[in-house]
Amino acid sequence: MNANDAIVHTSKLTKFYGKRLGIEEVDLDVKRGEVFGYLGPNGAGKTTTIRTLLDFIHPTGGSATVFGLDTRRNSIEIHRHIGYLQGELKLYGNLTGKDLLRYLGNLRGGIDWNYVKKLASRLDCELSRKISTLSHGNKQKLGLVQAFMHKPEFLVLDEPTQGLDPLMQQEFYRLITEARNEGQTVFLSSHILPEVEKVCDRIGIIRQGRLITVETIEVLKSHAVRQLEIHFAGAIPKDRFIGISGVRDVVVENDMLRCNVIGSLDTLVKVAAGFEVVNILSHEPSLEEIFMTYYNEDKNNVK
Amino acid sequence: MLNNVFLKTLRDQGRSLLFWGIGLVAMAVIMAFVYPTIKNMPSVTQYLEELPASVKEMFGAGIIDYTSPVGYFSTELFSFMMPLLLLIFGIGFGVSAIAGEEEKGTLDFLLSNPVPRWLVVVEKFGVMIVSMALLAFVFWASLAICVSALGIEISLLKLAEATIGALMLALVFATFSLFLGCLKGDRGLSLGISGGLAVLTYLLNTLGSIVNWLKDYRFLSPFYHYMQPDTLKNGIDAGHMLVFLGLIVVFFVISIPVFERRDIAV
Repeated sequence: MNANDAIVHTSKLTKFYGKRLGIEEVDLDVKRGEVFGYLGPNGAGKTTTIRTLLDFIHPTGGSATVFGLDTRRNSIEIHRHIGYLQGELKLYGNLTGKDLLRYLGNLRGGIDWNYVKKLASRLDCELSRKISTLSHGNKQKLGLVQAFMHKPEFLVLDEPTQGLDPLMQQEFYRLITEARNEGQTVFLSSHILPEVEKVCDRIGIIRQGRLITVETIEVLKSHAVRQLEIHFAGAIPKDRFIGISGVRDVVVENDMLRCNVIGSLDTLVKVAAGFEVVNILSHEPSLEEIFMTYYNEDKNNVK
Repeated sequence: MLNNVFLKTLRDQGRSLLFWGIGLVAMAVIMAFVYPTIKNMPSVTQYLEELPASVKEMFGAGIIDYTSPVGYFSTELFSFMMPLLLLIFGIGFGVSAIAGEEEKGTLDFLLSNPVPRWLVVVEKFGVMIVSMALLAFVFWASLAICVSALGIEISLLKLAEATIGALMLALVFATFSLFLGCLKGDRGLSLGISGGLAVLTYLLNTLGSIVNWLKDYRFLSPFYHYMQPDTLKNGIDAGHMLVFLGLIVVFFVISIPVFERRDIAV
């Protein structure tokens, strides 16, 4: 395994549950050392992809490798270097947090217990109570500790921030950033867009089982539709602003112009400079909007 | 107790084993203490003697003789109650071992560790054997103590052999339910099929003893191989024991590839 190779590589990875589609022809590469966000609404195929990589379910088509190892043939070797957090986390309710971690530690071996303690206290983890008595958020924290505890090469986290309060979410983001600094690779699925925006280097968007696009955050944003509001000193002629490339939905109300811009603002700003500009309000696109853009494009293509 | 899947599973069985153990001991003690009284009740033995042969047959190898300890314990304990209890425990465990953990959603979690699927099946099967053997042993030990204390004349070795027979019978169905759980992670389905099969094969054996056209098919029932040798009287019969052993091995061995090959349900 050299340092440059892909941690995950799938080619035409397909999973049907009987006739029901899970994912179809997903070509995915996750590079070593990056934080990869896997974004999509519920039921899009995020968990299916993850469970295929972990060999809990077997693909009906295509193939996948993790660390360059085939997921079907080398799942145990792959699991050795993976930290996994389940989407709908279910833990052994009859164990205490401490017992659970000890059990998992024994199954893996070679655990640095000081590190585990540090991790548990950072996440403010309740370790002495029976898991069945813990709140959803406290279980989730335990789930995170067990995913990180053996310092795995590759973290696979399915909807990791579910049920965490904002303070713990911040701590989680710090953990992710530290993991990247340590050279660990992270694959994080989410339907919460600001989350992936915050911590991910690249994002794959999946919808109805198909990977729509994989881009860096920057590129995604540049594709984004930006809402712009320009206030002028006096009334302006609407026709001057129509037909500028990338500018749509122009609305002029007296001395105010509102429009949506895709990509560069250059031409629009230059045209606006011909008038006396009082104020420019730009609404930074959230990934939510980017997301919707890709969705709509995709929908339009289908139609 | 949390070193591996085997010990963790055994630990989870702790409370259940305790209560099942208490139940089996209570049954052994009560049956043993009641015997001297029943033996001296002429009305009971007379009533039993007057039962039609076919009814007697249904209660175990044709002998219902409460005046002898062997007859009494064969009928009252070993022909029905004792194997039934072991059977219920065994099927319950077999069903929960894989399918139960899968329905709870913890199987994903467990298998995300570097633990191969086949090893999980082996370790759970191991716990099944150990805990059922433990229950059988506790039952035998308490019965042995009681009959010795009461001066009932019966061979402790034969009691042990009959207990082993019941254990093997129960293991056949328990392993079958484990296999069903490996085949499909549906607890209700495994429970229904294993339980239903136990009832059907029990009926096949007992009805087969009275209904002529069923006679030739009795050998298909594990209960036939359990009742036929009349173990408490004659000791273990190697041939019938091998049938049990064969069935257990077959169900266990095919459990592994079917579990390795299938998808784990979420």
